[in-house]
Amino acid sequence: MSEGCEIRVGTCGYSYPEWIEAGFYPPGTRAADMLPLYARHFSVTELNFTWYQMPKAQALERMLRLAPPGFAFTAKLTRTLTHEVDPGQWRGQAALFREGISPLLEQRRLLAVLLQFPASFVRAPASRLYLARLIEELEGLPLAVEFRHASWAEERVFRELERRRVTLAVLDVPPLPGLFPPVEAVTHPGLFYVRLHGRNARGWRSGNLQQQFDYDYAEPELRAWAEGPIPRLAARAARGVIVFNNHVRAQAARNALGLQRLLAASGLLSAPPPWNEASST
Amino acid sequence: MERSIIHLNVADFAAAVERAFDPRLAGRPFVIARAEAVRATVFDMSEEAFREGVRKAMPLARALRLCPQARLLPPRPERYARAMRLLLEAALPYTPRIETGRADGHLFLDATGTRRLFGPPMDIAWRLRREIRDRLGFSPIWTLAPNKLVAKAASRLVKPEGEYIVAEGEEEAFLAPLPLEIIPGLERRDLDALGAFRLRRAGEVAALGLEELRLLCGERAAFLHEAVRGIDPSPVRVAGESDPEVGGEERFAGETADEEELFAAAARLAERAGAALRRRRLAARRLRVSLRYADGGSAQRRIRLLPPTADDVLLRDAVRRAARAAWRRRLRLRGLALACEDLVFPPAQLALFPDAGGAETRRPRLTAAIDRVRRRFGEEALRVAAALPPGGA
Repeated sequence: MSEGCEIRVGTCGYSYPEWIEAGFYPPGTRAADMLPLYARHFSVTELNFTWYQMPKAQALERMLRLAPPGFAFTAKLTRTLTHEVDPGQWRGQAALFREGISPLLEQRRLLAVLLQFPASFVRAPASRLYLARLIEELEGLPLAVEFRHASWAEERVFRELERRRVTLAVLDVPPLPGLFPPVEAVTHPGLFYVRLHGRNARGWRSGNLQQQFDYDYAEPELRAWAEGPIPRLAARAARGVIVFNNHVRAQAARNALGLQRLLAASGLLSAPPPWNEASST
Repeated sequence: MERSIIHLNVADFAAAVERAFDPRLAGRPFVIARAEAVRATVFDMSEEAFREGVRKAMPLARALRLCPQARLLPPRPERYARAMRLLLEAALPYTPRIETGRADGHLFLDATGTRRLFGPPMDIAWRLRREIRDRLGFSPIWTLAPNKLVAKAASRLVKPEGEYIVAEGEEEAFLAPLPLEIIPGLERRDLDALGAFRLRRAGEVAALGLEELRLLCGERAAFLHEAVRGIDPSPVRVAGESDPEVGGEERFAGETADEEELFAAAARLAERAGAALRRRRLAARRLRVSLRYADGGSAQRRIRLLPPTADDVLLRDAVRRAARAAWRRRLRLRGLALACEDLVFPPAQLALFPDAGGAETRRPRLTAAIDRVRRRFGEEALRVAAALPPGGA
């Protein structure tokens, strides 16, 4: 299916003033101008502010006006549904999320909602039940789930996700005990989703994002992904999203550009950047 | 340079501190007030009492009628000051640029320069909130915006709990649908002047040009023109930094015993101070007015402003009141000086807003109604009694 798989590469978030100093954005770029500039290089971004703050339809509508046609989004599910769940209120939060994210869905720009669970979300009856309920509550939204704890790396879990047509996020993380391992599973034929977090083993548990996600993928590491897992995932899904989360000093953007070049060279990206016109069909 | 300003606010701070001290207060209505004072007013109240209609600065007797089951607690300013220091200590590791209100649960953090160390400002805000919740038991609102004015407006919007992020370039669109009362620095007189023309939302005022606004609001126009667009260049003042000096002096040509002359000098001082405060996006909580007598002696009066203000008219009236009170000796005057003290980021006017039946909200409605009648039936249709000639009508 790799011939037909529409792969998009991007980064987790795009609004980083320090990417100006790092040379990705031109000097003097204002925050409001970052998305259009970003979209000259990439065809997808993962919104992470929706994790901190419940998305608001009006703000997303304004953001959409800045994005060229064909540019797509994924969005993290808000923390009150993944990290700070209040048993009495989460359903209300889910309804708010659905309402807030609706402009992206209505304009067919939403490739996935990412349910990212913390390392403390261990596979147990209560967490399994919550996940099942949450997926039901979010029905109708394209869902991808990222586990951080290794206990979820089980065939039974993958089969259940497959049955519910939920994408399992495939991860690149430091080789640390207890972390969800890099499993190449496609649980939804509509979408595979790869998140490359960097391999900074020392910074991973520092509690500081600047250390956790400070990593620069070397060319051979990117090549290994471009030649191994990605073609295999692409062969089993209609679409693919690959995002880099090593945002420190714009390493994510540089690595994403590098991976994009490699994929284009091997024919896995149907159109090289800029994508905007090419992918709007 | 784009800025990232975090506003942290523990809503109803004194009540939150009391609750942290005594968990049995959780979920119960209580009012903090000095019960033994002659005309006791509400210093703060719990969310439960607020929902019953109790408001800050309301007469205590009225508060207790509205919420008879409320427990009454005395204000303990030293507790609030200590809790404020703990908040500041929690925030200091993230940035040295922190501006605090005076034991009121408000903190502005400038996270512009520290993102390289600590990551995205929204992450700093979220972590800080979590630390404060875990360590101190408070659950502050956090907001993130390109400046203090927008960050504070966002806090007012989500109060009593929550978070809000306003991105650079989004300021005007964010404020547009909001009531003017929510914008810090807008004073009661601005709201009255704009309300008389049925201008109630930031976006409606932002649609006016500066000249049009000048016709409605006079010397306040420049500030209002920027405020409704979410423009606020004022810096986050570093904790412990001394106030900038705002004030001045008027010397009388020769000496004077003429109250009119004194009042004219007071008006000039107030006007200059008001402009200087607005330029810095500050409001004065206190004025110090000094008179110099012809014999070289002097007299001083301090006067408290509640709420803090940068409004020329309110400042003028306060300076005149203080000057008149200070002029005790029957001596001619050589000069008058004004110093604005205890400068704070200006409050929003919402404190008065929920008191729907009170005079403060009735007055603008009355003014607007009078204007409507006059527009329809002519200037003479309605007249204010104070403006009538003595013995007339």
